[in-house]
Order: sequence, then structure tokens, then C-alpha cells
Amino acid sequence: MTTLRSIAEPVRQMLPSKQSTRIAWGASLGLSLLLLSLPWLVRLDGHPHADWQQFLGRFHPLAVHLPIGLLVLVPLLEVAGAPRPALREAAGFVLALAFASCLLALTLGFLLAYGSGTSGAGVTRHLWGGVALTIIVLLCLLARPRRHAHASGCAYPTLLACMMIALVWTADQGGALTHGSNYLTQYMPAGMKRMLFLGSAPSSASFFSRHIHPILDANCANCHGEGQAKGGLRMDSYDLLMKGGKDGPVIFAGSAAKSVLFQRITLPPDHKHFMPAEGRPPLQPEEIAWIKAWIDQGASPSLAKLAGVAIREELPEIPLEPVGDYSSLMPEIQKMAQGQGAKLKQVSAKPSDGLILFTVDSASSFDDAQLAQFRKFAPYIVEAELGRTAVTDASFDTLKQFIHLRALHLEETKITGAGLPKLASLSHLSYLNLSGTQVTAASVASLNSIKSLRHVYLYNTPAQPAPAAARAPQPAPTATAATQTKEKSVL
Amino acid sequence: MKQHPLCTDTECVTNVLDLAVPAQVKQQWAELQTRRHFLGRAGKVLGWAAIASLFGVDRAMRGDNYSSAGAAANDSLKFPNFAPKAKRAIYLFMSGGPSQVDLWDFKPNLAAQFDKDLPDSVRGSQQLTGMTTGQARFPVAPSHWPFKRYGVSGTWVSDLMPNMGRIVDDLTIIKSTNTEAINHEPAIMLMNTGNMNAGKPCLGSWLAYGLGSMNDNLPTFMVLQTKLNTAENNQPVSSRLWSSGFLSSEYAGVGLRSSGDPVLYLTDPNGVDREVRRKMLDAVNEINRQTYEELGDPETNSRIAQYEMAYRMQSSVPELADLSKEPQSTWDLYGPDAKVPGTFAYNCLMARRLSERGVRFTQVYKRGWDMHDNVTKILPIICQETDRGCYALITDLKQRGMLDDTLVIWAGEFGRTVYSQGGLTPDNYGRDHHPRCYTTWMAGGGVRPGITYGETDDYSYNVVKDPVTVRDFNATILHCLGIDHNKLTYYFQGLDQKLTGPVPASVVSGLLA
Repeated sequence: MTTLRSIAEPVRQMLPSKQSTRIAWGASLGLSLLLLSLPWLVRLDGHPHADWQQFLGRFHPLAVHLPIGLLVLVPLLEVAGAPRPALREAAGFVLALAFASCLLALTLGFLLAYGSGTSGAGVTRHLWGGVALTIIVLLCLLARPRRHAHASGCAYPTLLACMMIALVWTADQGGALTHGSNYLTQYMPAGMKRMLFLGSAPSSASFFSRHIHPILDANCANCHGEGQAKGGLRMDSYDLLMKGGKDGPVIFAGSAAKSVLFQRITLPPDHKHFMPAEGRPPLQPEEIAWIKAWIDQGASPSLAKLAGVAIREELPEIPLEPVGDYSSLMPEIQKMAQGQGAKLKQVSAKPSDGLILFTVDSASSFDDAQLAQFRKFAPYIVEAELGRTAVTDASFDTLKQFIHLRALHLEETKITGAGLPKLASLSHLSYLNLSGTQVTAASVASLNSIKSLRHVYLYNTPAQPAPAAARAPQPAPTATAATQTKEKSVL
Repeated sequence: MKQHPLCTDTECVTNVLDLAVPAQVKQQWAELQTRRHFLGRAGKVLGWAAIASLFGVDRAMRGDNYSSAGAAANDSLKFPNFAPKAKRAIYLFMSGGPSQVDLWDFKPNLAAQFDKDLPDSVRGSQQLTGMTTGQARFPVAPSHWPFKRYGVSGTWVSDLMPNMGRIVDDLTIIKSTNTEAINHEPAIMLMNTGNMNAGKPCLGSWLAYGLGSMNDNLPTFMVLQTKLNTAENNQPVSSRLWSSGFLSSEYAGVGLRSSGDPVLYLTDPNGVDREVRRKMLDAVNEINRQTYEELGDPETNSRIAQYEMAYRMQSSVPELADLSKEPQSTWDLYGPDAKVPGTFAYNCLMARRLSERGVRFTQVYKRGWDMHDNVTKILPIICQETDRGCYALITDLKQRGMLDDTLVIWAGEFGRTVYSQGGLTPDNYGRDHHPRCYTTWMAGGGVRPGITYGETDDYSYNVVKDPVTVRDFNATILHCLGIDHNKLTYYFQGLDQKLTGPVPASVVSGLLA
């Protein structure tokens, strides 16, 4: 019984007791029902309507920031009101203002969606978010005065919390409509993405998925995607793209000239029908060329290569990782710089970019023992130029401690490759030059475990002797000059 | 204390050097070399003198310790401003102005325009050189040679350069380079120093000043001149082009001779061994140091540094010039010319060896591209001379893993006109200087391979897309080497002088990797 009473008590407290409050509750209930039924009363049919609606509607992205700011302020004022009651008093006014601005933003938003004929799952979600938020704000407004009469009530704080959640979710949905759903995460550090399981989609080998789809995704899918499908057209998957919009297909496989998509991206940018619309930047010439070639050659979802189109595959840049603070070692580094012999130089004016070990001044006398003296600098060295020095395979015991090493030059040394597996611990190593050493194909194979490795140079080694292709060039065009550069994948 | 030799002011009675001022300020005073220096710095020095008399000796001297420590700490940390893609550069300078129309800028529609007049709308109000301004008409001269597409990038290259065609996928070709100068000397100065007038430091000197040396046994900046070919029209190149201008002369380019000893008088004479040489240098340096203390001329310090450099070069240069250890594959790649010192191929090989040994900036000059007439006869000769060398250098750097951090630049001072200078026949034509567009290329560290940047109109006359000025070109080179062109400055003549000059320049991001 006591449990039941403890639940019933706050409910009873919330129920209206005075005539005026009863009217307020009644009016609110009516307004809420109206808001809830709005999407059914006026259906978003995906067709553009009156211009004045669009004109007013486009003020939605502007007006919408007003309730956001005010709503965030409300809980802050309530909390800050504990020591300073004047602030708490202000919260009521701010909340009322927020509610009015919510109604305004909601109206404008609805006009925008209806007037411009935007529809789609994203728009619907954003709309419902806006409706729900407005109703919660209304409830907050109603629940608030009662809270002061009965200080123990928890309805109001709960409603405020709900309001904040609804606010964040609705704002995020709206942001996704204007900027694209990956706007916030696009430049997120890779490590953080992995933590949040935002790993990139498995890359398929087809030309469409590697080159065409990303172009459409970046330039078109905002308006023709899951969120909005203007003109009934969605371009976020191959099948939907080929299906076309309400006026029919946009791609005519085999002829770019006959394809509406190609026609519209190649109009003059100030043309009424130019795409991407609404002043978004036109596609790059090379992107247009790829789309043209792709459509002309059958608009295939699976074709891996297109005749006449060459795209250099660029591996993503490996970000530089700060090496840490070595300022206590600076006097020693500066002393080295004064003398003859091996020295450490900063990569750049930013100390955390690390140090480069130069040995060229005294290459012939620089041996494993001298290298070992650099152990105390080990975590700070990002590049080691040991070409033409007297180091041997024993040097790998020191080198494996250079945990931030990105580039390692060992060309023309006595390295045989026996120590190469010790480099496996260097998780940043992307460049390794073994030209002119005695490394063999077998010893080089151990490098496969270093995921970061991009370039391995094996020119003039038993692993890769100078090929005959480098001999006297013929005065005839060939595809590419023979190269001894081995990309990681080839190894 | 002696009077500075350049100071003619006999009225000078109070000597700042006798006052209790920081030693650094005293040195600055001693270094006042010119009237401008005097006017520019005297105020500061006299200000210190005033402080010295106001606060007494102690306080002024304390300032001394503080400022010298601060200066030393700042010294090594300025450049590169950010982590660079390229640590060194090789600049193949094609003096005379290579014809973009005949080599890179393929205009297939020109064949139909043979001997037709270049439309006035294309030429506009341009002021031409004295050599063609008097011509009655400007007949279009299409290139005599066909072009072919090469590489994965499908770049068009003239049949004159079959080997270059093999490496187009490694090149960043700029078709929209343009300059403000129409004659050789101002144009070549502008290209190299960022200013048409002599007296400014060149690109190599700025790099040496900013980045310093990677190998103390060789100069930071070296210049290789290619032997003259008298069949070509050779315009002079002079040491102004590798001068350090107002920077210390330590940063000037050091030339290697194209024949005989690479550096004159480097070998010790008979009867003088290393020991004796060392003792002699020590004595000379001591005298020079005394001179510096007396007169405070910073050039005296440069002289000491140069003597020391020459001493170290006595062992480093013979090793550098000894090509006997090069494997056969090198000769297969660079061709037979590379065995003859002073040829372009030899210089390309030498440029690779210098880069390997940590020389920051190597500039190879090839003269003879100035073809006012007889293009069909001379152009094949000079292409034959240079095509293989360029190809071999890029290929060699690439196979040795050096192209990742070496920037190679190929450029002349301007291009050539599409219209014929002098008579146009089906077999021959001439071309005048053309500053409005010309083709250059870069390769290696920092630039995006396999692309062509910028476009010219149908006559290869005006840039129609993505123009690259000489300032932008140089700013981009500095960027690849980790330098912000607005930060590499030197205060001189009342201005923070820059390689790119006072007019705003921008790094061409479309060229970058």
C-alpha cells in the first residue's frame, strides 16, 4: 500500500487543482494533439509547393538555433538558482520563451519540408523529433510552477532530462540533413573511430564502389539519400541509383550523353537545373570524367577497371604522432650539432615532430657501437639515415627500440637481413631502404608483419637484382618505366 | 679600436665600443657596414648607450647574458616550419626558354592553323620583344613533331622526348607557369631569385640559409654547369644566379667545374701534405679572427668558414667525383654521355651523388634552349642531350628510394611563342620569347605524381585555368621543403625580404601530394 501511495502522491500533486490551471492543462493537451496529428493533417508528399512556403521555410535553419540556446540555458539556470534564487526565477521566463521559439522553428521547419517537397526517413525523424521536443517543453512549462510548491517532486527534473535528450537527438538529425550523416565523424581520429565501431565499410574492388559511389556520397546523397529523397531519387546505393527518380531513370547505361545525371552535372553552374543544386560546388573535372567513362562503359556495379581511366591509388597519409618531450636532452643534441660526426636534427620547428639521425658526415666510421649510444634518444628518433655506414645486423637490437621510427635508411650497408624480424615492433615504420645490401627475398618476407610499411627499396640486392629492363631505354612509348619500388602488397 | 674601413665620418669622437653596453650590441655596432645599416640600427645602439649611462654599468651588462642565451636557443628551431616531405631538391634549369609548344603543351588543332595569322584577340595588347614586334604578320607555326600519349596518366609528350614519356607518371607537369619578364636576364633572375634585379639571394641560398647543411663536408648548395654545345644558341648564365645576395656569402652556391678538376686548386701541391695544410689553415684562420675582432666584418667569418669547408672538401670532393664504383646498371641507365664530365647526363648523375651525400640543393644549368630560328634543327639536338639524363635521374632516384624525399624541378625562365619568328616554311620556323605561359615540371617529395596542372588556350598563348606565377612556383617549392614562404625572411633595406617578394604569393595546393 505504501508503495502505491508513494507513486500516487506525485501524480496527485501534478493534477490540476485550480480552475486556471485546469484551463492551461486543457489547452496544452489540445495543442499537443494538434502537433501530433500535424504530419497526418498535412502530408509530406515529396512535391514542391508554394514559393512563399519555401521562402519562409528557409529561415528554419536560422531560427532553430534560438530554442537550442534557450533550452540549454534552462537546466543551467535551475542549477545555478540553488545559491542564487534570482536565476531560478529567470528560468521560467526563459522556458516560456524557448517554447515560443520552438513553435516558431517547428512551423518554419514544416513549411520548409512541405514547400520544397523534401521527404525521406531523415526528414520524418527530424520532424518527429521537433514535435516531441515541443511537447516536452510544454510539459516542462506546466510542471515547473508546481515544483516550487512541493520541493520533493521529481517530475520536472525528469522532464528536463528528457528534453535535453530529445534536443540533442533532434539537432543531430537536422545536422545530418544539411551536412550529411558522416559530417561529425569524417575527420575523427582513426583510433577513436575504432573505439566507436565506426570502421569504414569493407571496400569492394569495383570501380563503382571505389570511385563513383564516394563522389555521389559526398556531393549528392545529402538531398538524394536516406535522409531526403528529392525528386524521389536516391543515390546512396547502386540499385536505387539505377532505379531513378519519379521522372524515370537518371542513368542510361552505355551513354553518358543520354543520362539525365550526366546532363545535369555538366550544365553551366548557374543553370536552373544544374546539379549539385543550391549553390553547392560543382563536381571536379576528373570526377565528371570518371562518371562519364563509367556510364559510357555500361555503368556496371562490378567492373573493376575502366578503359582510359587511370586513378592513382593513394594510400591515406599516416598521421605524425608526437614523440614526447626531450627538452632535457637538448643540451646534448646541441653539443652534437657543433662537432663533426653523427648528429640529431629536429624534423621541424615543432619539437614533438621528433628527430632525424644524420650520419653522412662520418658514415664510414659509424658502427653498431656508435649507434648504441643513441639509445637514450630512441623514442624521439623518427628517421634514421644510416646509409653507407658500417652498421651490421647487430644494429637491429638498437633500432628496435626506436619505437617512433618512420623511415629507416640502411642502403649500401653490410646488412644481410638476418635481423630484420626484430623490426616487427616498429609500428610506425613506413619507409625502409635496403638498396645495395645483401638482403634476400626470404629475409625480406618477415617485413610483411609490419602493417604500416609502405615503401621497401631493394634495388641492387639478392632479393631483387638490377633487372634487364633498366637497360638502354628504347625510343618507344611503354606503359611505365620498370621500377624496383616494392609496395607492401607486392611483398 | 680601428675605424671601420667603410666609415668616412672623421668627426666620430665618442666611441660606443668604449661604453658599458652588451657585447652583442657592440658587435652590431661594429657590423654597421652601410649608411642604411647605420640609419637603421644606430637608434637601437645609441638607445643602449643611453640606458648604460642612466642605469649604470651592472644592469646593462646583465642584459647581455640574457639576450645572447635567447638568441642561441632560437637559432636552430626556426625551420622547417612544419614536417617537410622533401629534405633536398635538385633543380634542372633549362636556360633560354624551352618551347612548351614543341615539348609538352600538345595542341592538335594547330596543324590546321599552319601559316594562318595568330588572331589579335589572342595576342591582345601584349608588348612583344624587339625581335618580333616589327613583324608584319604572326603566322602560327604548329609543332613539327607528333605527340604520343604515355603512361597510366595518358600524358601527351612530344616524340622529341621518348624517354621522358616513360616517366610521366612520376611527374607533376605545370602547363600554366607564367612570368612577368620577356627577356633572358630579368626572367632568369626572377625565376631564381624572385626579383628581376640582381642582388637578391637565389632559391638555393635561401634554402641553405633556412635549412642549413646535412653534410658538413660538402657545401649546402652546389651548382653544376653543362658544357656548351656551340650548335645551340647559348645565353650566358652568371654567378649572380647562385649568389647569396644580402645573405652571408656562406650560403652562395658552390660550382663544380664541367671539365678538369671539379674544384680548382683543391688538390694539395707537391710537397704539401695534409698536416702542413692544416697548420697553414690554422694560422690563416687565427689572422682572420684577429681581423674580425678588429673590424667586425661578418664576411671575415664567412671566409674562415669557407677555408674550413675547402679543407674538408679536399677529401669529400675526390670521393664524390670518383665514379669508378658506380655499377654497370648506372651506365646502362644514364647512357654513354654520362661518362664524359660536363655533359647533361653526367651532371644528372652527379646531382644524384650529391643528393646521396646530403647536399641540400643542387642546381644543374643547361643552356641552349633559346631558339629564335632553325627550331627543327636545334631542338632535336638539345632534346637528345637532355631527354635521357632527366629520365635516368628520376628513374634512378626512384629505384634507390630517394624520390620520396627529394624534390626534382625542371624549368626554364619562360616559354616560346606559337607564332613563327622570321620566315615560316613547312620545314622550319623560329620562336620568340613567351612569358604568358610555359611548361615546367616537378617530381618527388611533396608533389602529386602523374598529374598535369593548369591549362592554356588553343594557341598555347594564354593561361585559361589555374595560373601559376613565379612567386607561387617558388612558394610551392619552399612548401615541399617544409618552409612557409612568408616566414623565411631577412631584414634588409628596410624590408623583411622574402624569396617570393613583397607581392602576395600562394602555395599551389593542387600540385601537392
